[in-house]
Amino acid sequence: MGGILVLAEHLRGNLSPQTGEVIGLARELKVTVGGPLVVAVIADDPVRYHADLALDGVDEVLAVEAGAHFDPAVYEEAAYRLALAEKPRLVMLGHSVNGMGFGPALAVRLGGSFVSDAFGIESDGGRLLALRGGYGNKVVTKIDITDPCVTTLMLRGGSGKPPPSGSAPLRIVPLDLQPAAAHTAEHKGYVDPPPADVDITRAEFILSVGRGIQDEKNIERFRALAERLGAAFGCSRPIADSGWLPKAHQVGLSGKVAQNCKLYVALGISGAVQHLHGMKHVETIIAINADRNAQIYTVATYGAAIDVFEFADALEREFN
Amino acid sequence: MQTRELFSQFSPFAFGMFYLIVIAAIAAFVAGLARHLLRYRRGRPAGVPVDWRGGLRRMLDDVVTHRTLSRRDPYAGTAHKLIFFGFATLFIGTSTITLEYDIVKPLTGLTFWKGWFYLGFSLVMDIAGLMLIAGLVMMIARRAWFGLAKLDYVRRYRGDTAPLPRATAWKIEDWIFLVTLLLIALSGFLQEAVRLIVERPPLSDLSPAGAALGRLLSGLGLDAAGAAAVRRANWWVHGVLALAFIAGVTWTKGKHMVAAFGSLAVRDSRSVARLPDVAEGEPVGVTRMDDFSWRDLLHFDACTKCGRCHDACPARGSNYPLSPRDVILDLRLLAQAGDSAADPHQVIPPETLWACLGCGACAEICPVGIEQPVKILKMRRALVDRGEMDPTLRGVLETVANVGNSFGEPARKRGAWTRELSFPVKDARREPVEALWFVGDFASFDPRSQTISRLVARLFNAGGLDFGILFDSERTAGNDIRRVGEEGLFEALLSHNGAQMAQSSFDWIVTTDPHSLNTLRNEYGGAVRDRKVLHYTNVLADWLESGRLKVTKPLGKRVTYHDPCHLGRLNKEYDAPRRVLRAIGCELVEMPRSRDNSFCCGAGGGRIWTPDPPGVEKPSHGRMHEAAALENIDIFVTCCPKDLTMFEDARKASGHEGDFLVADIAELVAEAVELRAIPASYLPELANRIAESPAEKVIARGVPELVQALAGQSGRLLAAPPAPPAEGSTTPAPHPRTADAEPSVAGGWSVVPVAPALIADYDRPARTGVRVLVAVKHVGKLGDEFRFRPDGLDVMPEDLDHQLNEFDETAIEAALQLVEGLGAGEVVAVTIGPEEAEPSLRKALAKGAHRGVRVWSEAASPADPIAVAALLAGVALQEAADLVLTGVQSSDFANGATAAALGGVLGWSHAAVVVEMQWDGRGRLDITRELEGGVRHRQSRRARGVWWSGRGPRGPRCPARRVRREAGGSPGGEAAGGATGGGAPGRRVAAMDRPPAGQASMLEGSAAEVAARIAAIVRERKGG
Repeated sequence: MGGILVLAEHLRGNLSPQTGEVIGLARELKVTVGGPLVVAVIADDPVRYHADLALDGVDEVLAVEAGAHFDPAVYEEAAYRLALAEKPRLVMLGHSVNGMGFGPALAVRLGGSFVSDAFGIESDGGRLLALRGGYGNKVVTKIDITDPCVTTLMLRGGSGKPPPSGSAPLRIVPLDLQPAAAHTAEHKGYVDPPPADVDITRAEFILSVGRGIQDEKNIERFRALAERLGAAFGCSRPIADSGWLPKAHQVGLSGKVAQNCKLYVALGISGAVQHLHGMKHVETIIAINADRNAQIYTVATYGAAIDVFEFADALEREFN
Repeated sequence: MQTRELFSQFSPFAFGMFYLIVIAAIAAFVAGLARHLLRYRRGRPAGVPVDWRGGLRRMLDDVVTHRTLSRRDPYAGTAHKLIFFGFATLFIGTSTITLEYDIVKPLTGLTFWKGWFYLGFSLVMDIAGLMLIAGLVMMIARRAWFGLAKLDYVRRYRGDTAPLPRATAWKIEDWIFLVTLLLIALSGFLQEAVRLIVERPPLSDLSPAGAALGRLLSGLGLDAAGAAAVRRANWWVHGVLALAFIAGVTWTKGKHMVAAFGSLAVRDSRSVARLPDVAEGEPVGVTRMDDFSWRDLLHFDACTKCGRCHDACPARGSNYPLSPRDVILDLRLLAQAGDSAADPHQVIPPETLWACLGCGACAEICPVGIEQPVKILKMRRALVDRGEMDPTLRGVLETVANVGNSFGEPARKRGAWTRELSFPVKDARREPVEALWFVGDFASFDPRSQTISRLVARLFNAGGLDFGILFDSERTAGNDIRRVGEEGLFEALLSHNGAQMAQSSFDWIVTTDPHSLNTLRNEYGGAVRDRKVLHYTNVLADWLESGRLKVTKPLGKRVTYHDPCHLGRLNKEYDAPRRVLRAIGCELVEMPRSRDNSFCCGAGGGRIWTPDPPGVEKPSHGRMHEAAALENIDIFVTCCPKDLTMFEDARKASGHEGDFLVADIAELVAEAVELRAIPASYLPELANRIAESPAEKVIARGVPELVQALAGQSGRLLAAPPAPPAEGSTTPAPHPRTADAEPSVAGGWSVVPVAPALIADYDRPARTGVRVLVAVKHVGKLGDEFRFRPDGLDVMPEDLDHQLNEFDETAIEAALQLVEGLGAGEVVAVTIGPEEAEPSLRKALAKGAHRGVRVWSEAASPADPIAVAALLAGVALQEAADLVLTGVQSSDFANGATAAALGGVLGWSHAAVVVEMQWDGRGRLDITRELEGGVRHRQSRRARGVWWSGRGPRGPRCPARRVRREAGGSPGGEAAGGATGGGAPGRRVAAMDRPPAGQASMLEGSAAEVAARIAAIVRERKGG
């Protein structure tokens, strides 16, 4: 009883990078909350993930045999049964699309407290506080999770560092998942996004546009600017959602992380946290947004609160 | 007695033939007329009051004076007068003959067309004939040699270089019309001439023209026998031509002669200032030809293609894709095709409709009273209803709907411009005032216009006016919102502003904004309750002339003045600003186009909110060139905030920066009366106000730290209070599914599942099909400046602006599509929140939801997804819903959890970030959810569930706010009373704080300077 239960996430045979991050943060919390740190994986062939999940700090890897594809009812039931058995103090999972699909439902069944999209845990005197945003991330909210016997935590991407490899024993846990049968999802297939001519994860120089460019008709001129500068053309989520650019151009939490980028120019991007996740690590960030208070300036190296179109024209002239 | 024999030497057959032709001609005329009248009857009622008696009198006056034709084109006015009066006289003449020959003589045997009457008659007829010919020759010359661009019908503003085929047909018709009339007149004289040659009556029948022509022909060798032959033949030529002309009037261009009388009689001179309402039961916009009113249909026929509107239009003049004449003509063609269901949008593209500035120049100059802007507006209403508009415009409408102004500023900041004044401005909501100053958006928020507002306030103060403003209770008056076609939003604004005014006490209204003035005076009706709405120039003119404000330093400058469209042309107020300029000692040089002919700055009709089409020179630039041509003007004077903004920009952008200044009239007055800077006696008050503001900031920062320190001693201090049962409810106390469960001491680990809330007194209507619930949230949005509450747990409520969660809009849209696809069903919007949340519920209804439900429990915080889920579950069970849809997250707290939690509480299926959903209503539901990186996962699920929409490819469709009367279902629906919690422990906020501040190095300067520095950085980083 006590300790931390981490629920792993995977897609088509690959473990999600977020799982490693969650384990990393859980490892740090072992100090305050106490052990053991147990990681559970639910899949048709869960044993294959053993090695990747046996990271430093993990005390045990639990394998549950179930369907090959994510099914919220199955994950919820499995996690619930595991929680009843392990009686953890914290249940942690990633705040991802799959996570959102079952985490809150699990929290409802467990009772206790629930914090989603948390990016940190603080221990303050005798209290345990979960940190998340508020009002469009203009404030930081600290939620008190000291009291209940179990807390379900969903962690924002990029909030933890995966620990180095370690070793942990594997235990196969047979579970009766019959109660979930009534709500089982029938898997119909995956649809990959169309191949794109841009690879954000490899690009070293990226020029991205956001809502500040106002109209789909303006995409071409910014694409031309990016080409002229020799930059890959990226965008923020609203642009991809509206169909102005294919999803492959999207930089951010639900898009791509610009892992190899050294120089990032953000035009008309406000800097929502999800977008920052994809680029805030970049060495040199230049942000142009007419709103002086835009969040993007919290991570940018250089900024200018001027009109994006005037800037684009002027920059083009510089490179003529 | 001298007279003329009619039908001399006519065989009975010829006689009979003639009368047959006459009857046929008249029948054709009447048939044509009837055809048009029947078509008008298929149109909708007028929509504006029609004063027949007054209108007829005015029409006769217009016709007799020909003032509408002579305006700004004396040549055409004169020519038309000659033609009209010539033709009319000749027509009366023939009718007089008919009167005697066919009616009076057969019935009574009396004759009067003889003797001196006959001679006088003949003289008058000759003069009339000459007038007619003279006018026709003038018009022919104009058409052939004056090279007027508007008469070739080429649509240059669309980039055409040649006329369209139908335009060529029009030109041919125009020429045929002129030439036929000329031939009729000439053949008439020829007839007279040969008769005079043959009959040689005494005094040549006092017909000098005919006689002269006769002498000419005789001189050329025409003898009596020849003349008789010509006479017989020409008689028929003249008769048939004339009768054919009359028969053809109602079938050709000539119909304008009849329709123009009608349209002048029903003319509404305030058509652009006071737009038509949408009547009960009428469609919001025009999507069929018979959605137009009968007046509109009449107007289409009255158009003479003269092109005055085409010339006057500032949009057309700047090469925007709009010509008012072409709009009317294209609509006319469609109307005449006869299909009442035809859609006018097929012939008028949206960019034409959106190009209109609403300035009214076309309606003002139209000689027959066609109200072009009204037709454009009616079609715009249909576009807005369908959501087809520029995304920027859509954004502005959303902003106005949310915060009541087009600047996107929180309402709270509306009165901020008054803070720099040295005296307090009265709050008209709290104290009675003499004059209510309705400030308007630009004057409240635009920095340049704010300085003018302050000046005007100081002028009012110097003149001792008792005035006040509505501060943050004022919303935009809605003049331009209405002109854009968003009638529903306009009504909401009117209703709000009206309520504010009703609660205040004032005698009259003053404003610096002509747009607000126009709508308050003309369109607000009872809300303004017969009180005068004055422009500040009226007030200043009176004060300067009476000495209430003394001019101590006459300016002696040479100025020109721009009449704002909404003050001048639309409300006929031209004099007050000129009186002001005179009183302050300025030499006024009138713009070439001034007063009713003033040239719009280009901001009206919603165009200040939409980007310009490529390749146009803005109307404001053209105006600057016009002013510069006046030479040695010191100042270009405006008295409208939009004019000031447009012309300040245009002056620089059009290259006239060195030629003259642009200034508001208030600035000139302030200089002339030497308005003092802050007098010393005001200082203490000012100092107090400055000192007050830091104090608040200190409190807000200090307390969270203090509170945290306290809290460290006892974790319980900040717990939410336990949920009290709903007041007045008769449900038993909830099962003690212990909220604050036993803390995890002594090794006890237990689960405390959350159950659905129990809701008292829920009134649920019967089902009509599928019932889809959409959970919507009234979210708070923070501006840049905000403060924390003293307890440090949240921000100050006043610093939040509220709106409907944008992600929920997608959900509403998806629900509506689902229900529409299934054919029957109901979409019920549900929100968990206090009464303050109702506006969002109303917005959901305006977007198409059929019913709205609000549930609230004091213990629940809308930020706690579990508590909200428990309450939503209660509603879903009571409603026996089939599905629940929600947005993927809320824009304020982005928990992204409510829906899955709801699914968990209910025990239903659920899925997140669903981008596609298909359901036939019975079987399983096929969904596609979008994962990270864009991979999509397709699943088939049990239908009864909670589905959260990811943002679809094109973002939510934005239907216009439905006109209030049309919103289905009562707004607000039921507000179910309090609910009792379902075991959720309550979310405990320990503290709220600002995130760590950013550290970007901000570059200052112009775009060029910044770009240069950035380019250097880019080169360095890339090269390295």
